[in-house]
Amino acid sequence: MTDPIAPVFHRVGNRRHEYVLVPDGKRDWHRGRVPGLSRHWLMWRGGYNPKTLQRERRMADKRPLWWFLGLGALACAAPLLPDTLLQVAVVFCVFAAINVIWTLIIGAAGILSLATMAVVGLSAYAAAATNVFLGVPWPLMFLVGALVGLVVGGLLALPSTRIDGLYYALLTIGVAEICRVSISQIRALAPQNSSINNVGSFIPQDWYLQRPGLLLSFASAFVLLLAALFLFRTINSERLGLQLQAAREDEDFAEATGIDYRRARLNVFLISSAALGFVGAYYAMLYRSISLNVFSLDQLLLMFAMIVIGGMGRAEGAVIGTAIVVVIDRALIDLGPLRIILIAAVMIAVTLTTHAGLADVRTQFRGWRNRIKSERRAARTRKGGEVMPEEATEISDKQEIAYRRFDRRLRDRLKALITPDLLEEHKAAPLGPHSDALARVLNYFRRGEMPDKYAILQDGPPEAWTYTVMALSGEPGKPPRVVDDRVYQTRDEAYHAVFLLRVNDLLES
Amino acid sequence: MDAALIVYALNLSAIYALMAIGISLLWSSIGMLNMAHGATFAVAGYGTLVIGNAVLPGIDSLFHGWAALGVIRLAVLLAAGVGVGALFGLVIYLLAFLPIHDKANFAVRGMIVTLAINLATVQTLLWWFGPRQQALPSVFGFGRLTLLGIPVRYDQAATIGATAVLLGVALAWLRYSRKGLEIRAMMQNPEGAALSGISVRRTALPVMAVTGAMAGAAAVLLSQTVYVSPGAGAMPLIKGMIIALLGGLGSVPGAAVAALLIGTLEAVTGVIPFLGQRMVLLVQFGFIILVLIVRPRGISGLLDETRK
Repeated sequence: MTDPIAPVFHRVGNRRHEYVLVPDGKRDWHRGRVPGLSRHWLMWRGGYNPKTLQRERRMADKRPLWWFLGLGALACAAPLLPDTLLQVAVVFCVFAAINVIWTLIIGAAGILSLATMAVVGLSAYAAAATNVFLGVPWPLMFLVGALVGLVVGGLLALPSTRIDGLYYALLTIGVAEICRVSISQIRALAPQNSSINNVGSFIPQDWYLQRPGLLLSFASAFVLLLAALFLFRTINSERLGLQLQAAREDEDFAEATGIDYRRARLNVFLISSAALGFVGAYYAMLYRSISLNVFSLDQLLLMFAMIVIGGMGRAEGAVIGTAIVVVIDRALIDLGPLRIILIAAVMIAVTLTTHAGLADVRTQFRGWRNRIKSERRAARTRKGGEVMPEEATEISDKQEIAYRRFDRRLRDRLKALITPDLLEEHKAAPLGPHSDALARVLNYFRRGEMPDKYAILQDGPPEAWTYTVMALSGEPGKPPRVVDDRVYQTRDEAYHAVFLLRVNDLLES
Repeated sequence: MDAALIVYALNLSAIYALMAIGISLLWSSIGMLNMAHGATFAVAGYGTLVIGNAVLPGIDSLFHGWAALGVIRLAVLLAAGVGVGALFGLVIYLLAFLPIHDKANFAVRGMIVTLAINLATVQTLLWWFGPRQQALPSVFGFGRLTLLGIPVRYDQAATIGATAVLLGVALAWLRYSRKGLEIRAMMQNPEGAALSGISVRRTALPVMAVTGAMAGAAAVLLSQTVYVSPGAGAMPLIKGMIIALLGGLGSVPGAAVAALLIGTLEAVTGVIPFLGQRMVLLVQFGFIILVLIVRPRGISGLLDETRK
């Protein structure tokens, strides 16, 4: 006996592993809706397990879950953090909010604008100036910031319809520099090195940089981040966002269906700019001062690194990228200039390896895995009569699949039994008695299928019978065919000839 | 407009042209916006500083008393800058071009990778050499000569002359050499060039090296008047980029014309009393936005259409 061959089971037709809820089938299913909208809160999908026919319910879009877990963890962990890390968390929230709004401009509106920090900085300066020099109370600073953001956004939007993508991006890089130079020329600010200090704020003066003040700033920054995400969601997934999505896929078609995508783009740009202005006012209040550092090219490049690492055009990308960069930049402060080099290295690595940032890595991995799978499947040529996995779905009688697999393994074993001694043994005594091995081989041959089964034709006069080998057609009414023109003188010779033919067939299969 | 102003304008134009033509050439031939051009500028500046400090004393003692000492010193510094720039171009080629040039979304990804290289390089320089500005060994001192009745500072004359020579050599190389022919073929039709057996990888390498060398030369020439510092590349990069835009990305003559325009504009804005030096950037931007609104693809931006 030879060693049994380990069977290879290809998994055929199994469902993707996924957590599902098993609802009570006797009760009605009530799905809550967002007040005022026809939208459901979560994307639940109902269905049945095709095998057990059990009712099941799964969450088709699990992103809300991850958002809830991630942001919830941040909110729970922050009050326990030491002061330095709490400040890092505040910075993370503010930058993440800016980046989410920026993502709206780049992703939803499709305008590659790099003037984000310019808008934030200008609004911050304007809001701070109205507070310090005109005595406007701090709650109104938000309004001033948003208005200035709107106006600046409008100015920036003017050339965006005329100048296309890359040109606009390169032009907007310079806007921050222009702002920096212009503000540094203002004589009134010159004594304070062009910064505005002692800005009124929602943080009381004596709490500033104290523990309660830090907690308050974290809470406000967290709310700001939530508001930015809410804005992203309301614009990106509602009417404006859908119009723009249609325009991204096919501008001409969108226009033909009556979508004024230029106007929609402009609207998104203006709304986002106003939001950035709001964040700018908040920024000035958070630090109670505003300086020219907001406009620095390095800051802009860092922000760009954040959305590039996370993946342009997706809110989760903006937040993930911000988290990575802020942690490297602010939490590993001991590293010195090395941190920026580290960030650049991460940026290069992410850009070289992923198609659209870290947020898209899962899809990219799945695509890669599917490609590898299909390559393997295509490379698998050793079929041997067995059913290939992709055929299996088309065979309704699954016993057929099991039988073919059994047959293949049986043949593999029998092939190992065929030796010259075995052939000699059969030649000596075609009708037995046989050894165990020969008996096994003959048993397999005996239960072969009728088509192409060999038969012996006895021919000629009774005193000089001759024998030839023929193959049955297997169909009623269709005569057998002659296999070859050899003529055998005895019946045992013919038996052995049939045996050799069948052994040949077995070895070739 | 007096004559000194013309010289000043030409001086600025020369340096801007060196930067802008490099950016423009790269975009038109391999479709990459090289944001690390400023880093090349800074690296070449520091490379020249190191090499110059090491070599120049030897040169001085060797050629002591020669009339052409200034020219020799300039040649040595230029060679150092050009060499370091070309080497850095090679680094960019290896990091930003070779791995992704045939992958999806190359234009944006290439831009991002070069931006990251820029960031990393500036920080490395800052880390290595410190934030202090350093002066390149001066070549000419502050003398003047009079050309056609116009007083010209030595360094201005050298900058204009050297730029003219370098650009002439580069353009002649593009026009008359075999490699230049291949590069121009790739500019006109990348697929057609590939089909006729021109390897994109082999052709991109010299383009990268040459554009890097141009940035290196610009660094050496500009450093005669401005100090070398880690962030020194930012301004030339921005200026070069907007000039390349103004000329129409991909057009070398367009970039040259635009450099001349912007250089002149900068010189003129500087002397107009109510504008002054501080408004230069604003005026330049306003001008460029105006031109781009009238001609969205720049002064001679026809090639962009074919690349699209």
